[in-house]
Amino acid sequence: MTAPVLSVRNLSVSMQGSNGAVAVLENLSFDVAQGATMALVGESGCGKSMTALAIMRLLPEDFTVTSGSIMLDGEDVLGAAPAQLRALRGNRMSMIFQEPMTALNPLYTVGDQIGEVLRQHRGLSRRDATEQAINFLKVVQIPAAGQRVRAYPHQLSGGMRQRVMIAMALACRPRLLIADEPTTALDATVQAQIFDLLGELQDETRTAIVLITHDLGAVAELADDVAVLYAGRCIEKGPADQVILHARHPYTRGLMACVPQLKLGPAARTAPHSLDEIPGMVPPLGARGAECAFLPRCAFAGEVCRSRQQPPLDAVDSGAAVSCWRHREITP
Amino acid sequence: MTAIETSGGPPGASALAPRAAVSPMLAALRQFGRSPSGVIGAVVLLILMLVTVFGPHLYGIDPLDIAGLPFTPPGEDAWLGTDYLGRDILSGLIHGGRATLTVGGVAAAITIIIGVTMGAISGFFGGAIDTALVKVTEFFQILPPLLFAMVLVTLFGQTLTTITVAIGVVSWPTAARLTRAEFLRLRNLDFVKASRAAGAGNLHLILRVVLPNALPPIIVSATLAIGVAILFEGGLSFLGLGDPNTMSWGLMIGQNRNYVLDGWWTVTFPGAAIFVAVLAISLVGDGINDAINPRLRKRD
Repeated sequence: MTAPVLSVRNLSVSMQGSNGAVAVLENLSFDVAQGATMALVGESGCGKSMTALAIMRLLPEDFTVTSGSIMLDGEDVLGAAPAQLRALRGNRMSMIFQEPMTALNPLYTVGDQIGEVLRQHRGLSRRDATEQAINFLKVVQIPAAGQRVRAYPHQLSGGMRQRVMIAMALACRPRLLIADEPTTALDATVQAQIFDLLGELQDETRTAIVLITHDLGAVAELADDVAVLYAGRCIEKGPADQVILHARHPYTRGLMACVPQLKLGPAARTAPHSLDEIPGMVPPLGARGAECAFLPRCAFAGEVCRSRQQPPLDAVDSGAAVSCWRHREITP
Repeated sequence: MTAIETSGGPPGASALAPRAAVSPMLAALRQFGRSPSGVIGAVVLLILMLVTVFGPHLYGIDPLDIAGLPFTPPGEDAWLGTDYLGRDILSGLIHGGRATLTVGGVAAAITIIIGVTMGAISGFFGGAIDTALVKVTEFFQILPPLLFAMVLVTLFGQTLTTITVAIGVVSWPTAARLTRAEFLRLRNLDFVKASRAAGAGNLHLILRVVLPNALPPIIVSATLAIGVAILFEGGLSFLGLGDPNTMSWGLMIGQNRNYVLDGWWTVTFPGAAIFVAVLAISLVGDGINDAINPRLRKRD
């Protein structure tokens, strides 16, 4: 196997609050290979977006990386000087944001905004950049690209804006693309289209993707590997099919049970009568102890869970790893 | 549309042809055209500017020359009368308007340049830089502006340049605070983050990403700053701190203020000129505000 495009090792991030530093992300490690997709899954507040921002070095002011390393193609992202960082961002790693409605500058045409990336990183002239922008609009399947290149964001629908964001992000053929819930703000049919598009473009460009999502369907379809985050800790990771089909951690299993299923056709017999939920909520920042963070909500919690620290990621034979003291007992 | 699209094409394939793109600036200009008061203000201002630019060439009397007897009332000898030295009032208005409007414009420009620079740096970077610059801004803000300007003019001489710079230097804190607030609001918005994620540096972010979005209130305040500067110049002149070698509306009022009862026309006409100019500028400012404030904007 070749060296991974992105390698995150023992990444910890903390927030400087009024009561001192609070851990937001603890000891997160994962690799993404060229052309592969890594999905980060978990509830809101689990540190998924913080991971993305840490990789892009875009953490908000009071957040700091306390330990760990992030390597992009062997280059140290955390140690990069400002100029180096600017050369990386948008060029070798880029990011798609959650809200296409607000992630485009309202005062420039979409052509200008896609072209800007190319002008900065590729040194293209304004004319060449606009020409390229039209090409990229075609690549992301925006109809009438020649006219739309002169459109302002408010003239485009949410789905089209997200396509523009994807065009911007992929304009310089980055090695790594981070997609932070790229479809959360879009309606269901458009969501599927955007995921299809991402998949197609990935096949073409061999870009490594870190996909942050709530959508387990998208994970099953798009992701090669999954890391499940809970309260800033990685509690289960492994190949996507393994984690989805044979979820071991009670939290992951809970997440899977929460996927709504249509009671139609042959599936109606096996589908549950009501939508499942995981009782309780993610412990807030600062209220996370050393023991398993999922403990208060876990139906399988035993004495061993209460008396010991958060378990290490225990490798299981399928290539997955899980952080649960009792996973061997409780896995069906 | 002739047929309903049935192919599973991407969204928008069946949508109407994209509308002609209208730049936000052009849209605001159109909107401005719909505000009657704004248009009236703009027309009046334009007339004033034309008069002060071309008037001196057409009306041959020098404003500092003694053109007739002191206190000649408006009439055939002097259309708007003469002042206590016998200088022509109409010539004073025409020439003085040039000085007054120039002082207003340049002082407002200084105000905005200093204010926007300070506010932008302060709001964009935050942290220690912000704290330091806010302290500087506050220091300038607590100085009584008229007194401070008087001190500057007294120290550096009663010339039009000094007066202009003094007005600019005492007025910028308001613009700085406004710009800072806009930058604070904008700097964490998604599209600024997205630009940063695309590799934009700080200078690019400030000048090309955040500033254009912060411009609407800055433009309005710049317009109003012109009016304020004109009033300020009038005030300074009234207190005897005008430039005695350059005719201006403020200077006319200031020099004739003791003779209001001997010749009402000596101060009434320049006073009216200041009033009309400041009113026109305010109307234009309001019109711009209406044009770029999305909450007041009518749908196209």
